Amino acid sequence: MIRLKKFSYWYPASEQPALDRISFEIPEGQFLGIVGANGAGKSTLCYALSGFVPHFYNGELEGELSFDGTPIVELDLGKLAGQVGLVFQNSFNQISGARFTVREEIAFGLENLGLPRAEMKSRIEEALELVNIQELAERSPFSVSGGQQQRIAIASILAMQPRVLVLDEPTSQLDPEGTRDVFAALSKLVSTRKITVIIAEHKLEWLATFCDRVVALAGGKLRAEGSPQEVLSSEQMLRLGVGRTQYSEAAARLVRSKQLPVTLEQARKALR
Amino acid sequence: MRGSTIYIEGSSGLHTLHPLTKLAFSGLCFACAAALPTLPWLLAMFGLVILPLAIWGRLTKAFLKACLLVVGPFLLSLSIIQGFFHGGETVLFALGRFSYTLEGLMAGLLFAARLLVALGGTLLLMQSTDQAHLMQALTERGFPTRIAYVVLTAIQIFPSFQDRAQVIIDAQQARGLELQTGALNRARLLLPMVGPLILGSVMNVSERAMALEARGFSSPAHKTSLRSLADTGAQRAVRWLLVAAAIALLLWRLWSALA
Repeated sequence: MIRLKKFSYWYPASEQPALDRISFEIPEGQFLGIVGANGAGKSTLCYALSGFVPHFYNGELEGELSFDGTPIVELDLGKLAGQVGLVFQNSFNQISGARFTVREEIAFGLENLGLPRAEMKSRIEEALELVNIQELAERSPFSVSGGQQQRIAIASILAMQPRVLVLDEPTSQLDPEGTRDVFAALSKLVSTRKITVIIAEHKLEWLATFCDRVVALAGGKLRAEGSPQEVLSSEQMLRLGVGRTQYSEAAARLVRSKQLPVTLEQARKALR
Repeated sequence: MRGSTIYIEGSSGLHTLHPLTKLAFSGLCFACAAALPTLPWLLAMFGLVILPLAIWGRLTKAFLKACLLVVGPFLLSLSIIQGFFHGGETVLFALGRFSYTLEGLMAGLLFAARLLVALGGTLLLMQSTDQAHLMQALTERGFPTRIAYVVLTAIQIFPSFQDRAQVIIDAQQARGLELQTGALNRARLLLPMVGPLILGSVMNVSERAMALEARGFSSPAHKTSLRSLADTGAQRAVRWLLVAAAIALLLWRLWSALA
């Protein structure tokens, strides 16, 4: 579905590539996690996968990045918005500011896509339920907490029912319960609707639990790729500044094992 | 919360009118303010048409308060300035070399009455109409969506901007900035607050623009709306009548001035 082949990108006036010869493929319906220390290129990769690089940011490209076989440079952002959704880290900046209730805020994207009113209503209710914010529907999106705002932002994109959902550290402002709700909602989307979810995240435990596959970046380069178990349990993650899940940390201190557990379930088995 | 608008939520007949009907009436009020020739005509327009509409909309108190707040200072200053400097033969009293005339007073009152009529129509519109509905009504008739977005965002984001300013003030004070001193010193110390506020907002522009694009703002699709604004044939007819009346009034005024 999405294919990167030796894909490199330089921000304007930058001599160092933000992404450096990255190659991998993302099949439809996959839940992919992106890990890396700050400045590793996670956000840039998210922007590239959603078309903002190169359509929003100028700069130089090399190599190939294609969506359903079409080079992303040939697709315009307006049309891509219905296919690829992007959720940012900063919740405040994602609120359109042009709508006065959460329900209207979620409708904003649907109105832009020209959906009929009846379909909008059903999608809004579904999105509110998916991220568990039904009780906020009639409140102002500016009168809620940062975590609630982030859930509104996610619901707003989910309602657009994109085929690919890209999220750049979406849970950084969420409490543990909010984080669990978001991951559970994303997992449900992948399993029931076959939506492709790509999430850049520091909360490794959640990635280990929910993702099908993880890629690790450092200095704009792809350093590791594989199942969460393969990638997140490797020593290399410590060197890259990614760290390890708390389950891996605990198991590393308590048992000798070739491959460290990365989820609670795996840790339970390893420590038995 | 509806941002920094003066809209007062309600379910009166005035509230349920289509926004464009109220906009057309507001236009007629401007035409009346410009064209009606004498004070009694203007006061009649306000007292017999605009004020009853405000009462119908259950806005009387807020409406009169806003009128007083805006027109009051003008009424006072215009009465004084025009009274002393407009000239005239009927001197009411004199202060040294300056005479206060009845003609000047009437000219001041006439100007204030014109302002009252123009403001009255606008206030009726703004206090009884959700600005989002007004913008929707306008964009459905071809008004540029980008301008409508800017208007609504300005209304909505202003209180958040104030909140952010307060956070910056609190942060600066926590780091020892003294803001409780004299007015001059406080004005000088505004700089550390305004800098981060403006810079922070500018830095957010890029991400805001991206977020808008992610929501299909540039989508080539014909935009639809979640809300439906109730409109009737009778209201459409009234709108045309109001527009025609406003144009007729202005033309009559122009013809009178030229004749």
